Amino acid sequence: MKDVYILAFESSCDETSVSIIKNGYDEIATVVLSQMDIHASYGGVVPEIASRNHVENITMVIEEALTRANMKIEDIDAIAVTYGPGLIGSLLIGMQAAKTLSFLYNKPLVPIHHIAGHIYANNLSKPMEFPLIALVVSGGHTDLIYMKEDYSFEKIGGTLDDAVGEAYDKVARVMGLNYPGGPLVDKLAHQGSDTYNLPLPLDDDTYNFSFSGLKSAVINLVHNELQRGNEMNNVDLATSFQNRVVDILTKKTMRALKEYKVNNLIVAGGVAANKGLREKLEELCEKNNISLTIPPVKYCTDNAAMIGVAGYYAYKLGKTSDLDLNAKASLKLQ
Amino acid sequence: MTSLIIDTCNSNLTIGIVKDNNILSIYNEQVKTDLSTKIFPVMQDVFVKVGVDPKDIDTIFVSCGPGSFTGIRIGVTVAKTYAWALNKKIIPFSSLELLATTKVKEDYLVPIIDARRGYVYAGIYDEHLDTFMNDQYISIEDLEKSLEGKYYKMISYDEFEKFKVIKPEIDILKLIEKHKKDSGVNPHKINPNYLKLTEAEMKLGEK
Repeated sequence: MKDVYILAFESSCDETSVSIIKNGYDEIATVVLSQMDIHASYGGVVPEIASRNHVENITMVIEEALTRANMKIEDIDAIAVTYGPGLIGSLLIGMQAAKTLSFLYNKPLVPIHHIAGHIYANNLSKPMEFPLIALVVSGGHTDLIYMKEDYSFEKIGGTLDDAVGEAYDKVARVMGLNYPGGPLVDKLAHQGSDTYNLPLPLDDDTYNFSFSGLKSAVINLVHNELQRGNEMNNVDLATSFQNRVVDILTKKTMRALKEYKVNNLIVAGGVAANKGLREKLEELCEKNNISLTIPPVKYCTDNAAMIGVAGYYAYKLGKTSDLDLNAKASLKLQ
Repeated sequence: MTSLIIDTCNSNLTIGIVKDNNILSIYNEQVKTDLSTKIFPVMQDVFVKVGVDPKDIDTIFVSCGPGSFTGIRIGVTVAKTYAWALNKKIIPFSSLELLATTKVKEDYLVPIIDARRGYVYAGIYDEHLDTFMNDQYISIEDLEKSLEGKYYKMISYDEFEKFKVIKPEIDILKLIEKHKKDSGVNPHKINPNYLKLTEAEMKLGEK
């Protein structure tokens, strides 16, 4: 069989990334240019600044990826690009660059949903086996997705308010940690004890999540304690917060596996790097004989490699687009 | 010499192909929110109509602003990716200067783009496209002050309450004539000329 090479673009938030993926699992080269340091001084991603940086860097990132791969655009079979969801101004840069190359070299354009990319990142670790449940946890998403086969996505639950990563960053901020604080909370959580009486997040018989109540409880607790002149124990607070989050995420995920009679669980998104979540899932999956895949940390954060993997499967299924493709800030996974 | 000219900064999307001193094809129509979906279908039309292959272009002239931030970025991204991929010469120009190619008999031509809240992007040009005031983000008040005692005409696609404007009738041959001897820029270094910091940057600067 002839090898298939995908040139992939990802620019949905504050990472400009281009990758070349062979046959849907072999990473030939990936470049990720993160703007994290730029946005850190603003306490979060500023959309207009993100867009400005994408346009300045895009051609250098493409060039670097092709140079590392030692390939030319002529060698590519199709061009995949994240078309949503994400920051619209940011998405548009990767998309216009992808369209330009598709136009100039007459290569098929393959639009990819950002979350499909995160899910398919797992294929870089080991071949995905179906049916599976995907737990997608990031700064913008908290989703449980059932996949019967390749490129079939059934969302069985999602967040009703804050995404889990968003809750982490906001809690980190009130604890006085620098942006992005989520990973710092995770680190602290491993050193403390669960002493704060925080409420359990939404624990019903749906697969939906809600973290805003828990987040507000933490914020109120910190404000009240500070007003009373008491010092917060950040380490214990981090442990208490993380335990509530991990408990509900794992509880609903394990129930979904049981109810859908699925033995494969994959985890995706930036929060998949969370050590507390990884450890709990590993423990539960081993006990319940579930095959668990969590991508290496570098594939958990935004990157174009995952778009190239998803792009391969979408391309194989003929899911290409004309050049009037638009970027979409919000977009259903289907 | 075959040239491609792209302006996505103004409220008209302009894409044209010029060979020597002839316009082979041009699209110059108002676009609203659908610029990002429209640019490539238009590009395909403009090329197909005259049987020019994208690889046959020698020089890309791209408008780098000012104007809508998103609009600027769309054109600049397309142009720099194009120039980088096919190793084409790329020459930037100002979206206001393009408006100033409108044929008007007056000492000074003042192309304007509405920047809202009493501000505009404006420059002061003469009929040879030489500048007397560089393009800038300026309050309408200050602009009027700097024009006091001068004979001028304002040119804009936008409408203003305080003064009358002439609708642009752009002349891309005049623009290319003015810039064709410019040295090309490294495509990696072609970037938008917003003329305005982001609000977040301004706030950070105040601190």
